[in-house]
Amino acid sequence: MIVDSFTPWLKPIYSTADNLVRPLYWLANVPLRVQEWSASSVTPRSEIEVENQRLSKESLIYHGQLQRMSDLAAENLRLRRLLNATELLQDSVLVTEVIGVSANPLRHTLTIDRGTADGVFVGQPLLDAEGLMGQIIEVHKSHSAALLITDSSHALPVQVLRNGVRSIAEGTADYNLLSLKFVSPSADIREGDKLVSSGLGGLYPAGYPVGTVISIASEPGDSFLKIDVDPSAEIDRSRHLLLLYTSRDSGADATE
Amino acid sequence: MQSGNHSIAVFLTVVLAVVFNLMPYSGDWIVWKPNFLLLVVMGWVLYQPKEFGVYFAASFGLLADILLRMTLGHSVIVFALCVSVIVIVSRWAQYLSLLQRTFLVSLIIGVVGLLEASVFMLYDRPSAIEHLPMKILLSALAWPLIDRLIARSQRQRD
Repeated sequence: MIVDSFTPWLKPIYSTADNLVRPLYWLANVPLRVQEWSASSVTPRSEIEVENQRLSKESLIYHGQLQRMSDLAAENLRLRRLLNATELLQDSVLVTEVIGVSANPLRHTLTIDRGTADGVFVGQPLLDAEGLMGQIIEVHKSHSAALLITDSSHALPVQVLRNGVRSIAEGTADYNLLSLKFVSPSADIREGDKLVSSGLGGLYPAGYPVGTVISIASEPGDSFLKIDVDPSAEIDRSRHLLLLYTSRDSGADATE
Repeated sequence: MQSGNHSIAVFLTVVLAVVFNLMPYSGDWIVWKPNFLLLVVMGWVLYQPKEFGVYFAASFGLLADILLRMTLGHSVIVFALCVSVIVIVSRWAQYLSLLQRTFLVSLIIGVVGLLEASVFMLYDRPSAIEHLPMKILLSALAWPLIDRLIARSQRQRD
């Protein structure tokens, strides 16, 4: 245990063993795949048509918003150039599926169905439709393990969307709770404030939703506030996730 | 041949337990998910204390460490502790009813869970102790199925 806790010497053993137990992950997914397949097979045509119409409308709305976004992105880039700020980061994503969940409440990890063959790398951010989920900690040929932001060993730099106040969001070993660290009692932070990744530390790109402040408590004698945050991502529910690839793109491309 | 059947039964129950352990459920209750692999290992030791013991449990603890991405050795200790109690009481355990066995297994999981949480709290680490009562309850609910499954494969072997 000491060797595993303080050295990386056992990593190759873990990696080999993980590849050996890969068929078990596949097997563990069979019941859910059957459930999904049966659910999609027995859906009535009328329901599918309604769903299709709804998705078409949503797609139209998002396309409209995207046009506005590209205009804003171009404007942002021009302003950054005027300020001599660093260039924009352009993100691309890869859809992935959860194939395994750690049964241990003390270790919040997921196994996903993408690996080195898909260009997955250690430290890669993982998102769901609502916000940041975690980061990749182990990569194998066709699957990878991700550490969730709610794991007690995880911390990520965040900022309040409203005013940019920076802090660190730490995992609490609870799927529905993060804790903000090092926020002084005089900081301008309120319940309901949205938190996004600040981009500090270089691991997570800036601007992705992390959570919402749900409670702020000040203990007498404590130097910092005790702040609880509800994660934006559906950490214990999401099945389909996004792997984020961040590449430094040239300004010319971003304006196109 | 009988030994072969036995190995197959152990293998199948272990695979089933691992599948249940790894299955990507969703919802708030996943933190209460029983450790099916531990329950199956305890079941086999309870029914076959002469054939399976602490080393058997420790080796499956090692598998659990790899599958659950725990620090190598964590589940080995938990599995070995739980099974040690079973080995000690195995002489009397064979006369227990299903309800009494369920109580015994729940008690062991509870006590070892408390011990584990205490060690974590000692080092100021999250212990998830608040989830322990529900985990014990769900383990107690899952136990009769595991108990019956192992007892049945046992009967078929005999």
